[in-house]
Amino acid sequence: MTVLSRLATATAVSALLSAAAPVAAHDGPHVATSERHTAAGILSATDHDGPKTAKHLRIGIWNPAGNITTYTIGNSWNDWVLYLSLDKLLEPSPYLSKGRSWLATEVVPVTADGRVWEAEIRQGVKFHDGSELTVDDVVFTYEYYRDGPANRWTHHVSDVPRVEKIEKISPTRIRFTSERPMPNFDLVTAPELPILQKKQWETIKNPRSLTDPAIGTGPYKLVDYKADEYYHYVAHDQYWAGKPLVDELTLIMIKDPQTMFAALKSGEIDGAARAMPPELVEQWRNDPAIEIAQAPSLWGTWMQMNLDLPVFNNRDLRYALSLAIQPDAMVERIMLGRAQSGKHGWPHLDSTWTKPGLAVPYDAALARKGFDNQGLVDKDKDGFRDMPDGKPIDWRILVSTNQPLHVRAAELMVKQFADVGFKSHVEAVDAATFANLSNSGQYDFAISEITPHGLADQDQYMQFYSSSQMRKLLESEPERLALYNKWWEADTRDKRKDASFELQAYEVKYPSRFMLWYPDGLFAYRWQSYDNYASSSGYGIFHKYSFLPEAGRIGTTAPLDAKFPH
Amino acid sequence: MYYLRTALQYTVTLLVVLTANFLLPRLAPGNPINALLGSDVVENMTKDQIERIMEEFDLHLPLWQQYVHYLTSFIHGDLGNSIVLGMPVSQVLMQRLPWTLLLMGGALLFSTVVGSLLGAYSAWRRGRAADLATISGVLFVGSLPPFWLAMMLIILFSTTLQWLPSYGAYPIGTPSGSWAWYVGVAKRLVMPTLALGLVMAANVLLIARSATMMALDQDYVTFARAKGLSEQRIFFRHAFRNALLPLVTNVMMSIGSLVGGALVIETVFSYPGLGSLIVMAVNARDYNLLQGIFILVSLSVILANLAADLMYPLVDPRTAEGDPA
Repeated sequence: MTVLSRLATATAVSALLSAAAPVAAHDGPHVATSERHTAAGILSATDHDGPKTAKHLRIGIWNPAGNITTYTIGNSWNDWVLYLSLDKLLEPSPYLSKGRSWLATEVVPVTADGRVWEAEIRQGVKFHDGSELTVDDVVFTYEYYRDGPANRWTHHVSDVPRVEKIEKISPTRIRFTSERPMPNFDLVTAPELPILQKKQWETIKNPRSLTDPAIGTGPYKLVDYKADEYYHYVAHDQYWAGKPLVDELTLIMIKDPQTMFAALKSGEIDGAARAMPPELVEQWRNDPAIEIAQAPSLWGTWMQMNLDLPVFNNRDLRYALSLAIQPDAMVERIMLGRAQSGKHGWPHLDSTWTKPGLAVPYDAALARKGFDNQGLVDKDKDGFRDMPDGKPIDWRILVSTNQPLHVRAAELMVKQFADVGFKSHVEAVDAATFANLSNSGQYDFAISEITPHGLADQDQYMQFYSSSQMRKLLESEPERLALYNKWWEADTRDKRKDASFELQAYEVKYPSRFMLWYPDGLFAYRWQSYDNYASSSGYGIFHKYSFLPEAGRIGTTAPLDAKFPH
Repeated sequence: MYYLRTALQYTVTLLVVLTANFLLPRLAPGNPINALLGSDVVENMTKDQIERIMEEFDLHLPLWQQYVHYLTSFIHGDLGNSIVLGMPVSQVLMQRLPWTLLLMGGALLFSTVVGSLLGAYSAWRRGRAADLATISGVLFVGSLPPFWLAMMLIILFSTTLQWLPSYGAYPIGTPSGSWAWYVGVAKRLVMPTLALGLVMAANVLLIARSATMMALDQDYVTFARAKGLSEQRIFFRHAFRNALLPLVTNVMMSIGSLVGGALVIETVFSYPGLGSLIVMAVNARDYNLLQGIFILVSLSVILANLAADLMYPLVDPRTAEGDPA
């Protein structure tokens, strides 16, 4: 199926879904509580008041999840399904400025230099099989992530930071020691790593071929599944934070977005756990059966450049390029205004770690001057700039064919580059080839999606420097290296924040990649089935906190009680 | 002699297919690690870390060693574990195969019956308005992209009329084997079968029409007419029956293209068959799973062709005697 045909289909389906939508009267108060893009709230014409508990919900998911263990959830697109059954020491996520006590009643620094931390494990917490959570489970989990077969969580304990010692110091207390400061251990590491049951995992030789459901302490127990088809959960009756509000959850794999939203429309599923296409918002906002909510998902789309190429390992050139890119045009034409401009750069504009007020302006004239200064001028008089040695430039912008929006973004980039004198072209390849080409540096530019794990987690930014391309920047830019080292040496939260802010300011001016947009987190559900969703930064509305009683929500979420004006 | 020659041909074909099954996934750029860990994580891993994961799946070995492992395992009936799903490939295939067989069988039956009947009717009414209308209508449907047709069916039957479910192959949560379960399976089969079968029916129609027209021009038909047999009798007993031979070949040959069609249709309908599995395996570069699926599909096509070859002498004894006619 080609990209063009998919686009045509999406348009046709949107039009038809729109035609099928019944029209309801506009009513209800229109009260805006904050800026539309950043706040959580209801986008539908009417904010309905549906049931706050449910017996059984069917929710559509889309990304392969295997048997939902820490070894088959390979990314942040659907880690929330793992967290239904696994808890962390602190919650909800590394994307907030505060971690709430969860499996640990406290996580505190023991030394002033931020190298040693201790956690007190909550007593009386039961695993799904009825056994009790112990310190041994936590020690095992952290050591397993660090020393066992690598998974998506490994680098949070093996690299940034590297936790050297994990010790049981009492039947209820555990100590974490690192050689380097980790002043945000309680904000990033502890709310990141899901706790495993030692008894289940210690005898497994190959964790990637485990087919039994993972036993956790989370509010839901996976009781039946067919990998890549459906996952049936029942509420964990002995959940420490109270019995969940929904007795049963069935997550159904529907990979095609049009089919998933058609299933939601027809009432076959109660919620669609994927970002809603912007064009559907206007079409469905009057639908009496469906409620559309906005909640910060902290996702983004960025354009990486190949820093292995000498031309891009030049911060002044990258600065000039950043002046030539207009994310605002993409927000308007591709995202139909349902996104924020990427002019801020990394991290996500709504992240708790973000330095406010940073942005790079669009200034084509200054950009052209910058390119001229670098010797990138039109030497062969073909209307496009050439390399200083006269070699013609024709940048290859790589995109994945399963991301039609990225293809459109790439086409706009070709135009924007042409506006400042550069020739470029789009190359669309299948998803696996895209991943391979971008990981092996076979591209000039590559446009891809980035999840909160990469965009709103402060430690992850430092993890980027493990790649060979980013290390090259450290070698060639002493100012960047000094800031990088300052971050690592910062032994208090404030010092690390200052170092991070300085690094962000540097990154915005001399970017290592270009942010294009941060999409608004748009989600849809059938309010008559369940209407008690909450917003949690980085997850949107589909996460375990939406199904927990108040005790499990305090401090973790924002209610969806704001109604956005049309 | 005919059967021995055929068996030898198919043995060589199987060996070539097994080798291609091994090489093709590995020749494509990429590896399964991105799917396992997420490309954002892999991008920032060191070479040592990546190498250790490659070792877990023997992907660090030279290609010839991997090939020897693959052939040895195949001979022992071991297709390995799916890298992404973590399950034995044979188990995954056993879960998925029945649904694809059901879908392909339904589409094959639908397209063959509808296509051949309409084709024969069209030939019978050659040059008349009914012939033109049938050909135009079926060619129009046949020229539609299957995924688009699938979308339209969903919009019509699921979203608007709400008669049929839009996804899946069976009602999740309903005890399998119950009456409700069978009804649920049947309802979920209608749209994928139509989407796949309608497009194929156009091809069958053209072949059936052409073969029937050729048969109608044969001397034995003229002779039958001269004998004073009725038009219906001539048509069904003599013309249409003789037109079935190329249809049998076409139906068997179309199994391969059916898998290709199922790939798209199963993805659109979230139908848990081999087609949607291929998409997942290709996207994840799950080599073991890809090899398993392709071996199964290749064997099916080989066996279907073998069946067609073996059926030829039964349908037309002249072929067994080496008579190309």
